[in-house]
Amino acid sequence: MTHRNSKNRLRGLLVAGAMAVAAGPAHAELCGQVGGDLVLGMEAKLGTLDQHVNAANATRNVAMNIFETLMTRDENMAPILDLAESLDVSEDKLSYTFKLRPGVKFHNGKPLTSADVAASFDRYNRIGVDRSALGSVDRWETPDDATFVIFLKEPQASFLESISASTVPIVIVPSEQASAEATRLEPIGTGPFQLEEFVADSHVKLKRYEDYKPNETLDAMSGFAGRKQACVDTVTFRTLAEPGARLAALETGEVHIVEDVPTLSKERLVGNEDIVQTQLKHAALWLNYPNLSEPPTDNLKVRQAIQAAMNLDEIMDAMSDGSYSLNPSFQFPGQTYYTEAGSQYYNQNDPEKAKALLKEAGYNGEAVKLLTTRDIPRLYTAAVVMSEQLKAVGINAELVVLDWPTALGMSVNETEGWNFFFTGWITVTAQGGAQSLRNLADPSNVHKPKDNKSDAEFMKQFQILSTSPDLEERKAAFAKAQERVFEQVMAIPFGVTPKNQATRANVKGYVPFFNTRVSNVWLAE
Amino acid sequence: MLAYTLRRIAQAVPILLLVSLISFGIMQLVPGDPAAVLAGPNATPDELIKLRQTLGLDKSLLSQIMIFYGNLFQGDLGYSIILGEPVLKVVLERSPISISLALYSLALTVILGLSIGVIAAMKHNRWIDQAAMTFALIGVSVPNFWLGLVMIVLFSVHLGWLPTGGYVPFFEDPVGWFLAATMPALSLAMMQIGLLARLTRSTMLEVLGQDYIRTARAKGASEPRVIIKHAMSNVLIPVVTVLGMILSVLLSGSVIVETIFAVPGIGALLGNAILGRDYPMIQGGLIFVAAVLLILNIVVDVLYAWLDPRVRVQ
Amino acid sequence: MSHLEISNNPSALTSLRRFLGGRRVRRLIRHRSFMIGLWLCLFVTAIAIFAPIISSVDPNKMAIRSRFQPPSLEFLLGTDNLGRDLFSRVAWGARLSLAIGLGVVLLNAVFGVLLGALAGYFRRLDGILMRLSDALMAFPSVLLAIGIAAAMGASAMTAVISLAVVYIPRTARILRASVLQVNELEFVNAARAAGAGDFHILRRHILPNCMAPLVVQLSFVFAYAILSEAVLSFLGLGAAPTDPSWGIMISEGRSYIREAPWMTIIPGMAIAITVLGLNLLGDGLRDVLDPRVKMEH
Repeated sequence: MTHRNSKNRLRGLLVAGAMAVAAGPAHAELCGQVGGDLVLGMEAKLGTLDQHVNAANATRNVAMNIFETLMTRDENMAPILDLAESLDVSEDKLSYTFKLRPGVKFHNGKPLTSADVAASFDRYNRIGVDRSALGSVDRWETPDDATFVIFLKEPQASFLESISASTVPIVIVPSEQASAEATRLEPIGTGPFQLEEFVADSHVKLKRYEDYKPNETLDAMSGFAGRKQACVDTVTFRTLAEPGARLAALETGEVHIVEDVPTLSKERLVGNEDIVQTQLKHAALWLNYPNLSEPPTDNLKVRQAIQAAMNLDEIMDAMSDGSYSLNPSFQFPGQTYYTEAGSQYYNQNDPEKAKALLKEAGYNGEAVKLLTTRDIPRLYTAAVVMSEQLKAVGINAELVVLDWPTALGMSVNETEGWNFFFTGWITVTAQGGAQSLRNLADPSNVHKPKDNKSDAEFMKQFQILSTSPDLEERKAAFAKAQERVFEQVMAIPFGVTPKNQATRANVKGYVPFFNTRVSNVWLAE
Repeated sequence: MLAYTLRRIAQAVPILLLVSLISFGIMQLVPGDPAAVLAGPNATPDELIKLRQTLGLDKSLLSQIMIFYGNLFQGDLGYSIILGEPVLKVVLERSPISISLALYSLALTVILGLSIGVIAAMKHNRWIDQAAMTFALIGVSVPNFWLGLVMIVLFSVHLGWLPTGGYVPFFEDPVGWFLAATMPALSLAMMQIGLLARLTRSTMLEVLGQDYIRTARAKGASEPRVIIKHAMSNVLIPVVTVLGMILSVLLSGSVIVETIFAVPGIGALLGNAILGRDYPMIQGGLIFVAAVLLILNIVVDVLYAWLDPRVRVQ
Repeated sequence: MSHLEISNNPSALTSLRRFLGGRRVRRLIRHRSFMIGLWLCLFVTAIAIFAPIISSVDPNKMAIRSRFQPPSLEFLLGTDNLGRDLFSRVAWGARLSLAIGLGVVLLNAVFGVLLGALAGYFRRLDGILMRLSDALMAFPSVLLAIGIAAAMGASAMTAVISLAVVYIPRTARILRASVLQVNELEFVNAARAAGAGDFHILRRHILPNCMAPLVVQLSFVFAYAILSEAVLSFLGLGAAPTDPSWGIMISEGRSYIREAPWMTIIPGMAIAITVLGLNLLGDGLRDVLDPRVKMEH
């Protein structure tokens, strides 16, 4: 999105919103029926609801109903205003002026003012997980109660993408919360639901916030933004970590919506008239990346041999029980930056080439350590299958299986003891081109290049990708950068799995998304 | 009596200190960090480093220990990293859940264990005895988490009798509590039922062989009267002494059962704290649980000493 | 798990000699549950020993195309989500479970005897050793094992060590109690009066007379170790994930418990059969070696 485009587009939204407000009752009713308790069966356990420091998807599922942000992402994951009704960007692209929507109140009854916004940005800047998003900010000011202005030190083309990122969003909290320490934020926001009860390891219960002021610039929800209504009185997010129990609870009607329906169960549920299945086709990109500091994967030829040896169909088939699509890209099909550049290196399944490359590399039976975890069964399965494929071409593959905190910690902090780390990118991929390659660029460098300097050619393209004001130029840079990642084997994408969900048949208005949204969802009798 | 009680309490203090030191020692060796758990699978290295600073995890171990003990002596168990709430508050919230589950299990254990044992003894060497003892043996041999999984499929999915898990507060909905807690309580109790049934049977057989029972029978007392009046009172003595032990096993053996049935008790809390590297929660929670178990043991010992004065002298 | 305690009793005094004398062996052979237990244990042991022969397929060999096969003539116990043969995995799992159980028992025998004897015989060590064991026993045993296992990383060795730490204090207590009793007996005093050294008395006179409760205790430790190892492995903290462990198999199977129940049920039954065998064996040993012992836990 270019600067000009974004400005026009945001103005456009404002106009549309004004018309919608004028139209008033002409709105389509969001809720076919009001009332009831909507129960969700969630896979993961919940930690703190402090959205500034918690990036877990499970937390986001709940917190996005309590908190709102100035800007967030729409259905296509493009930046969009939410608590702000307009944004003006100065000609020199150094100041961003947000006007707040009038009439918005926090759950404690206090009206939202620019002071709260500034306090929330202060807190995020102090402890927020993605506080580097505010790295180019010089200061912010609050000329009046409804106006919030951000001044940049230098122009940054991707600034709006950064502050609208939905992984660890800059949620707006009451100003008196600005000094709350990390993880100790009181869950008071402006969202359509407010917290009623939180029992970790068991459930979180939200109830409708009666004084909620919906964002009427849109007719319905779009992504995390738009017009929302709490159709049900309460929402209960139940942690049901046991996959068998989770699905059983759906079948018995104990819960209305479940996450992550196993492929085998999908087939069985087809005949069940009480259950409707939904699917978000491209939800998670599974991949691994090598450690460029640890022999033998410091050797490009060895990495290329491994790349050649891999049968990604088999890996994806095994890890998803057959529900997947191959994906030679770091973006999902349909996303702006999606490209298949470099796909000649993808899914080669060519053991002979692999053996030849190994010979060329002078590979001598050094262990190739695949670092993975059983806490995320798909990652474990992928590593198991990959190790068999590597062994088949004569590579001495070894599994290093640790629990998730240890494995992730090791891949981040250690340059020794592992050769490949397995992970899945959900939001990283969904947030767009620059975000999806950020992990392979300075200073993140998850693939541990020598001296913590990523590949020069890749970095050149990445710079264009993150700074160029022109979309076509950025897209071209993304394609080149992606091809470079394949060439240099800086990461190996396996494929994409869908998000398979199921709801009871009386759940209406549910639209699958990266996170499970409960606004505008209602229960039919 | 008072002196004995005080002595037992005094002995508990160094044990608690050792408990806290041991748990700190273990945690020092545990790799991985809570920041990774909070940050989730999408975290970048940069985010992790920032989160570690934010959470105070970059402080040296010594200073973390000093802070912990400093707070402990003021009755403050610290803040959970993952949940962002005071450890003591969370632990106090969760304890009643585990305790109610343990008491339910205990009731099942006593009722089923005793009756199976008594019936088996009364029908000694008959098929009913054999069936009862086979059942007891199976109870002692089956892994409780496996039993839990199988019960979910059987009773929730196929028969639809019981919910798959979760927890309903007793005072809000006693029937709901009863339904939700039955499978977890039964999985927990199974092994104890088996053990108690075996203990009851063997004690009962011993008692039934005693002279005074024979005398009672000879005097023409009816069989139920013999069992209830004469035999049971003697059987109950060893049974009562193991109840305290059973209760502490039930209270502490619930990590995996609570996890499977999504019961938000203290076992699931601490199990997750260990897996999530929530150091303050592990520390505070273990000390709390150990203290509760120690107090329970002291109560049982003191009761026992009260019943049997010889113990006090030992 | 559970406390393993067996009350002390004077018959321990002569049980070892009687045991070796053959009368006890005859009683054991006539003891029905002991023999059933023995046969079950031998059966599982045979499967463990001959796993490479009876299972023609590598337990880790994947065949994605033949995944989720129910038990049949081709796949005796069916296949799992990666098409691995469950019969092979259960057989190799027996190896692993027995090896871990045996490891825990050996460590218990060595350190339980050492610490129990030291505490029971040298009264000055008693206070500190018993406080330490009190502290270890004050932890809920599963949590202690999980903590140690998390610190060491999942492997069979981890499972052995963490479970040994859990059970050694309990074994040591039992041995200490026996030592205390035997130490009071006249022939020990006589040996002491004759000028025998402490270690000589311990080794020659006291320990041989403490064997009966120890043997019984160890048979139950074996059973508990196998159950607890399954718990640890189920949580991902026991055997290395690449090992065909019964606990891991249950954990992997539970995602498919509706559609492929054999993946969960079969390893669970393997655990139950093994533990049942050990319990029966232990019952028999207790009846014969320690006839007046009360069944407690």
